[in-house]
Amino acid sequence: MATREIFENRLQAGLLLFPTMVVSAVFLYYPAIRAVGLSFFQASFGRDDAFVALDNYARLFTSGTYLDSVFVSVLFTAVVVAGVMAFGLCVTFLIHEVELGKSAYLIAAIWPYALPPAVAGLVFLFLFHPTLGLVTSYIEALGVTVDWFTNGPQAFVVVALAAVWKQIGYNVIFMTAAMNNVPDSLTEAANLDGVGRFQRLMRVYVPVMSPTLVFLVVINTIYGFFGTFPMVDLMTKGGPAGATNILIYDLWRTAFQFYDFGFASAKSVVLFVVVGALMYVQFRLSDRYAYYGG
Amino acid sequence: MTDVTLEAVRKSYGDVDAVEGVDLRVADGEFLVVVGPSGCGKSTTLRLIAGLETATAGTIRMGETDVTGVEPADRNVAMVFQNYALYPHMTARRNITFGTGSSTSFTDAEIEERVREAAEALDITDLLDRKPAALSGGERQRVALGRALVRDPDVFLLDEPLSNLDAKLRIKMRAELAKLHEEFGTTTVYVTHDQTEAMTLGDRVVVMDDGEIQQVAPPQELYDYPATQFVAEFIGDPAMNTLPVVVDRRDGRPVATHAAFSLPLPGTGDTVPEGPAVLGVRPEHLSVANGDGEPAGNPIEATVTVTEPLGDSLLIECRAGDDAFRVEAEPRLGLVSGDTVRVRYDPERLHLFAADTGEALYHSDTGRRRGAATPVDPDPA
Amino acid sequence: MSSVATLPDRLGEYTEQMVAETGGDTRDGLVERLSLHALALGAVLLLVLPVVVAAIVSTKPTGIVTSVADLVPGRSGAANYRRALVGLGFWRFMLNSFVMAAIIVVGKLLVAALAALAIVYYRLPYKNLVFLVVLFTLMLPVPVRFVPLYRLVVELGWNNSFLAITVPYLASATTVFILRQHFRSIPSSLVETAKLDGVGPLRFLVSVLVPMSRGIIVGVSVIMFVYAWNQYLWPLVIIDTEGQQVAQVGLSLLRGQASSGEIAWSMVMTGSILTLLPPLALLVAFRKPLLETFTLQQR
Repeated sequence: MATREIFENRLQAGLLLFPTMVVSAVFLYYPAIRAVGLSFFQASFGRDDAFVALDNYARLFTSGTYLDSVFVSVLFTAVVVAGVMAFGLCVTFLIHEVELGKSAYLIAAIWPYALPPAVAGLVFLFLFHPTLGLVTSYIEALGVTVDWFTNGPQAFVVVALAAVWKQIGYNVIFMTAAMNNVPDSLTEAANLDGVGRFQRLMRVYVPVMSPTLVFLVVINTIYGFFGTFPMVDLMTKGGPAGATNILIYDLWRTAFQFYDFGFASAKSVVLFVVVGALMYVQFRLSDRYAYYGG
Repeated sequence: MTDVTLEAVRKSYGDVDAVEGVDLRVADGEFLVVVGPSGCGKSTTLRLIAGLETATAGTIRMGETDVTGVEPADRNVAMVFQNYALYPHMTARRNITFGTGSSTSFTDAEIEERVREAAEALDITDLLDRKPAALSGGERQRVALGRALVRDPDVFLLDEPLSNLDAKLRIKMRAELAKLHEEFGTTTVYVTHDQTEAMTLGDRVVVMDDGEIQQVAPPQELYDYPATQFVAEFIGDPAMNTLPVVVDRRDGRPVATHAAFSLPLPGTGDTVPEGPAVLGVRPEHLSVANGDGEPAGNPIEATVTVTEPLGDSLLIECRAGDDAFRVEAEPRLGLVSGDTVRVRYDPERLHLFAADTGEALYHSDTGRRRGAATPVDPDPA
Repeated sequence: MSSVATLPDRLGEYTEQMVAETGGDTRDGLVERLSLHALALGAVLLLVLPVVVAAIVSTKPTGIVTSVADLVPGRSGAANYRRALVGLGFWRFMLNSFVMAAIIVVGKLLVAALAALAIVYYRLPYKNLVFLVVLFTLMLPVPVRFVPLYRLVVELGWNNSFLAITVPYLASATTVFILRQHFRSIPSSLVETAKLDGVGPLRFLVSVLVPMSRGIIVGVSVIMFVYAWNQYLWPLVIIDTEGQQVAQVGLSLLRGQASSGEIAWSMVMTGSILTLLPPLALLVAFRKPLLETFTLQQR
């Protein structure tokens, strides 16, 4: 019965909402809708837009680079999400189990949240540099030749490593909060049952933390598709031979190196649909497997 | 300062009527308490007077003015909430003065003077520069009262202001509130679920249940002549005993018959309908017969089930037939569970209530023989 | 998993058993605890070392580090940083980033606070719809709209200006969401007291809501600053005048210069560390409000 809605002046409410609505409409909704429209055109600088219906979409299916890029993106995101969640969970768990120095470990684990992706890319570029890299010399001592400027799979691995490394901090923040919310009684019950640490993590903590974990999978997926652009741009520029040409990078190139705006718009639309569908699938899976409530 | 009138007020939320058919008049300068169990509609009624809720039907008037659709800020009321509602980031002084600019037309100098006076009256002058976190519950409540006082409203509205305080503090604050009312004399509507507070503070008390007014009367009248069984059981601690009986006539006189006893009812026979009814008698109007030839009036035979020594009295729960009732007896009787006792009653303190509606049918006190006081009392004592 | 309901009994039995077996000491074995620490330390080192190495390299004259033994802080620290900032003009990029991030943080806070005020404290038909419309923008990140957005911004004549890299960011679904959640946690009796006094909306915002939201405001500001500071794609697209560019993209220029041999790789590390410092400093300084805000956001 108590209510917070103490003001009723609709004009005032409208004015208060105006900046948000205007910016959303002009810079968010309008371009998004326009992208769909533009995808049916051939457009570039200096020429008028020419209507080409579904040509752009047809090109997508015949473009080898594009299809490769789809494959690379999906694989890349899958690897990044898996890597971040796994390593993040381990780090979170270790910090949780340790009795001394928790806050010191925590800060050390969280700090990459503040790290610009570009810096992450550059640091890994430098450390793994085929000729100059510090880590390179140690790897080569193991008998592996490091030449990821020309070796596709290796390039993929290095960029993925940089991406995972950068994103762990954000995940640890949320995972720690979620793990700290697991009731102590569950830990005690597990100890009484003689459950080992790892089992306890996987059988008790993970299910109870599942809403947060689902949230993180979604966030990490978005990061894998979009947030890793600076790394690709700084480390490999999509190469070698498209091995790291993730969709967002391919899209950028189409738009701002080839100036093929219509085609790029078609790619944006597809990208939106792909990511949207992925997120939807993740939500549905989570409804089935996630464990909400005590 | 004004009187407040509610006419046929109803507040509904969808299909549910939180408050229904409320007719009430608060006299100018009166301290009116609205009491009842949780969910009875007392807070809703208060909020309707404040303007925080809009009535679904009916009118609300302050003095001659119809304020039914008027914004709270324009009604010149001040409200004190159960959780004090103090802004945690402002000092006590600032909390008191924060809204005065918007709601009153006093000058800054006048406000300062009023703050000083209120602080003195409430004994919080030394606390004015502290923030709520540095104040105890009682101190915070007094700051909230100060905020209300400084407004100089026509009506004070208090929503269970003492419920969050511990028992001792509550008693102390009760006395202070009574003193304040005497000093300032503002019309006050006070909501509580505690019947003791209601009885000690109110000039008149409104008992509500399930969205409706059960009775409006001065405290003593509620105690002596409850209009419904609900009021009878709600007012008074320990609660009134209620026993199912059948009323019939013997030798032209009404008698209340129970499986285990029968009591003649004093007074003329024709005002009491025959048939099933509920007999009410308070524990303090029962006593244990000590067997020396005192003039008896049909003692009730009963078996003791529980004894509760309270120090100044002994509360005995007894069984007569299938029903239990309590007796407030002399403290050092040495009774134990299983003992048989003969219970005597005060024939001037019997009540009868309708078995189906709960309405009062009869009070044996010679002052009033028939049922309820009228719900709207146009001339409060 | 055994039922927690039988926990009290089993806890009792267990304790008795442990006391009998170990003579009262029920803590984990020393070896186990040490290995936990070793693992934790190892993990944390993996997370921290790359940047520590970068920092060390940034103080060296060249980028040549061939073994761990070389990882001694060099002498050229001051010279490198001075060169990066002044000689290579990195101070310009840093300044542009600062201005952009500052405008975005302040602007977003203001805009989102007004919107949250309207959404929580005004009675409005279709209010939930409005809130959903704002939230849905989370589904429209830059890559989905940046081609038409680019054309729009160029048409407005904003390319290469601060307007282009600030205004599009001002509508923030997450900030509105966080502020709304926080406003709803304020007891309604406080709000009703304001209503009884006839306090106006702006006064309510400034004198009541903002002071009661200090922790959240700090947390949200840090989040927004980090987000704005780390923006790469959009500034890359919309700004092509080097002088107007932000630090993130400036790093790309440094990299190009190092690859072509114009500068040493250590300079790239210098630029990197410079770019890293502001958000890191904020994170360390304000980690408490930041963490509080994150937990609020989860719901």
